[in-house]
Amino acid sequence: MKVKSSQYLDQVKPLLKELLNSLLEEYSYASILATDSKGKNYAVSKSGTVIKEDSLLSGRGFVAKVYDGNSYGEYSFNEITEGSIEDILYNIKFSLIPLKESLPKGITESGYGELLDEPDVFKESTEYIQNPEELGDEKIVTFITKLSEEGKQFDDKILDCIVRCNYQQYHKLFLSRNKDMEQNVLWTTGSIIVMASRGEEIKHYFKGYSNLGGTELLEEMKDDIQSVAQNTLELLESEPIKPGEYDCICTPEVTGMIVHEAFGHGVEMDMFVKKRALAEKYIGEYVASTLITMHDGAAVREAATYFFDDEGVPAQDTVIIEKGILKRGISDSQSAMYLNTKPTGNGRRESYERKAYTRMTNTYFEAGKDKLEDMIASIQYGFLLENASSGMEDPKNWGIQCMVNIAREIKEGKLTGKIYSPIVMTGYVPDLLKSISMISDTMELSGGGFCGKGYKEWVKVSDGGPYIKARIRLG
Amino acid sequence: MINRILSALNQNNISTYLIHEDIQETVELFFIKKNLDMRRQKEVHHYTLTVYKDFEIEGTKMRGSSTVGIYAGMTDEEIATKVKDAYFAASFVNNPYYELPSGEKEECVRLESSLASGSLADAAGKMAEALFSEDTLQDTFINSAELFVEKIINRIINSNGVNVSFEKYMAKGEYVVQCVTPQDVETYQDFAYENLDAQALKDKVKQTLEITKARAQAATAPGAGEYNVILSGKHVGIICSYYLNRANASMIYPKYSNYAIGNNIQGQDVNGELLNITLKAKAPYSNEGIPMIDRPLITDGVLQTIHGSSRFAYYLGIEPTGDYHSIALPSGTKTFEEMKSGKYLYVLNFSDFQMDDLSGHFAGEIRLALLCDGETITPVTGGSINGNLLEAQKNLTFSKEMQKEINFEGPYAIRLENVSVAGA
Repeated sequence: MKVKSSQYLDQVKPLLKELLNSLLEEYSYASILATDSKGKNYAVSKSGTVIKEDSLLSGRGFVAKVYDGNSYGEYSFNEITEGSIEDILYNIKFSLIPLKESLPKGITESGYGELLDEPDVFKESTEYIQNPEELGDEKIVTFITKLSEEGKQFDDKILDCIVRCNYQQYHKLFLSRNKDMEQNVLWTTGSIIVMASRGEEIKHYFKGYSNLGGTELLEEMKDDIQSVAQNTLELLESEPIKPGEYDCICTPEVTGMIVHEAFGHGVEMDMFVKKRALAEKYIGEYVASTLITMHDGAAVREAATYFFDDEGVPAQDTVIIEKGILKRGISDSQSAMYLNTKPTGNGRRESYERKAYTRMTNTYFEAGKDKLEDMIASIQYGFLLENASSGMEDPKNWGIQCMVNIAREIKEGKLTGKIYSPIVMTGYVPDLLKSISMISDTMELSGGGFCGKGYKEWVKVSDGGPYIKARIRLG
Repeated sequence: MINRILSALNQNNISTYLIHEDIQETVELFFIKKNLDMRRQKEVHHYTLTVYKDFEIEGTKMRGSSTVGIYAGMTDEEIATKVKDAYFAASFVNNPYYELPSGEKEECVRLESSLASGSLADAAGKMAEALFSEDTLQDTFINSAELFVEKIINRIINSNGVNVSFEKYMAKGEYVVQCVTPQDVETYQDFAYENLDAQALKDKVKQTLEITKARAQAATAPGAGEYNVILSGKHVGIICSYYLNRANASMIYPKYSNYAIGNNIQGQDVNGELLNITLKAKAPYSNEGIPMIDRPLITDGVLQTIHGSSRFAYYLGIEPTGDYHSIALPSGTKTFEEMKSGKYLYVLNFSDFQMDDLSGHFAGEIRLALLCDGETITPVTGGSINGNLLEAQKNLTFSKEMQKEINFEGPYAIRLENVSVAGA
């Protein structure tokens, strides 16, 4: 089934066109992004049960972007009626545009050309098997409650089992002089977190699920409760690792964190505009092992797949690294214009209330040819790193800060059963990427989380890839 | 809109509810170096409705709830349908019964702020002036910055008579300072002020310029091993937020935290300073409409208050205080210079510093640290610290010098003994 259009956006579209036409009488470029989205969270744990709309993922609103002949301004609002159009026009002309006049001495205005407005008219929708709204709150809560109970009853040492299901169904319209684009998208995610205590210290293991679709995802979660609980219990026996550099195998989710945090943020080209990314100097250079090819975009169907970005640019499949060579970055429209490159459809907003930045979508390494068992067998002493917990970007210096929950010891080609936790991965990104010597023949993406730009601007992303073998500094 | 929501509640015979109204106006300026790259303005109005449904399961009284957004442009029919669906959803939320706070209609509290003295655009211009006033060096400068000045009006209404509102202003944002010689490095910094606090922003920028210039001199990572680690600035607040979060009723009820009033939360045999922490009320009401006041959290290492929402407070049988997000600590026992005695690793900046409230672990990749071997001080970069506050809290030292951030007022620096560092 395809996600249906928003009745609300259909209803206000004539008003938005009226507003757009009035803006185009005043400004040579104007566009309006309209959104109608609903995100819902379900959670069951010892704390209780939650059913609530997610305020970050829900809402109706609009952002108008105008070009005053030298620079751009944006006005975000969430009410439009026949009577409010004049007020919006007034606020843009007499409040937004003059903001540049309140600047202190010594601060000037960046000069930009006019954005290309290539004709594009289309309407696209993603597909689902089971729409969460049709499945209903009762069945979703009953399902995750059962999983939570199963997790809690796995062992007396289990403190809690938090099971969540979230979805967002969003509808977007992009209107400009030459564009009239509509997209309707549904993604669903789930997670299982099992917690156990070791004195005051709480250990937990996490597994995430995601799709570009509906609550058919729930079926995937059924079989994992016991393994997540077992991993949590193993963590109770974990100890801190001896800091050092080791041969490591990263699970697909840890590979995804390296792809996204360690390298992906560094090829967001708004960072090139600010001269904040080392990657700009390495276009055409080897930055990784020749085994590595990296993509971002819509070539895969995952939670961050869409048809056009928040600036009206169609989504693409961007090959960022090809056989170890950095080919190109990803960009929003304004950054691409500044850098004289083509936008890649990566201009994304947290919501209509926020600015568009260059953002990743689905970011991953291609699979290779190795078997996981051969990769483990190739290690004399090292670790299998799993359960990525968090990471932070460093585009300027390509420093790595990624945290993983578990390092499983490998001795003479075999897992010993001993585990270390928590683990901080550090080092220099190209050193890590160039040290990749084996890549598994299967790959996985996961889109359970959100990505921030620094500490804000949260957008849905997915990342992943194959198992990789690399040399990594752990602490 | 409030009346339309109340009418929809009445139409559906829903007698227990909580309504939030949130009106926001912002002016936003985005800079690349000393150029305005983008300007934005926002005027939005949000409504959130939580409905509650009481029922029994096997003789136990339950109270389910469900929260939905109500949007401008919705018809009365749409609102009624949404309210009805939310009430239906609440019947599947099997939470034990609890009581909502009671209250009455109060005058809107206008939090005093110098940001309110002119237009948001004027305030943004003045804060922009402060932001760039120290940016006068050739090789170390503000690479880029974002500045948001906002006016927010919150109104909270519930079915137990609570009808309160408050207006607040905020100037907040972030900036990145770059130093290009002898190596090209940068430092990220954020800021948030409830007043037009130009001097505080100037001082912060000046300090960031100095740190970044120092980082450009650092080339090597510290060796792996255990160090006495000194942290300063926002990292002190991040460490101390562990105690704020562990003392929340929502952590204690499911037993994620074993805190109880009267506990020595640093354990026995404390060799360092005993903690004294105050909960700071940053808004007149919690998001449920509970009046908020400053309260003692920890006195001489002993827990005094568990804070939290009405639901978890009811379950624990304690007074509902609202959830606190800000704390204050008194000055410590040593000057910052005295803290830097003997061998130490003073970490000025991380790529990201994380404190895990569940495990007590703290970690971060080192962007700039000063390594003292007892005699010489060497700037270092790279590697990471990986420690556990459950061990470190027995031997804490705080500085006499103080700092004031939006959610933390307290000592400028903290010293933690024997922390593991993954270095070169």
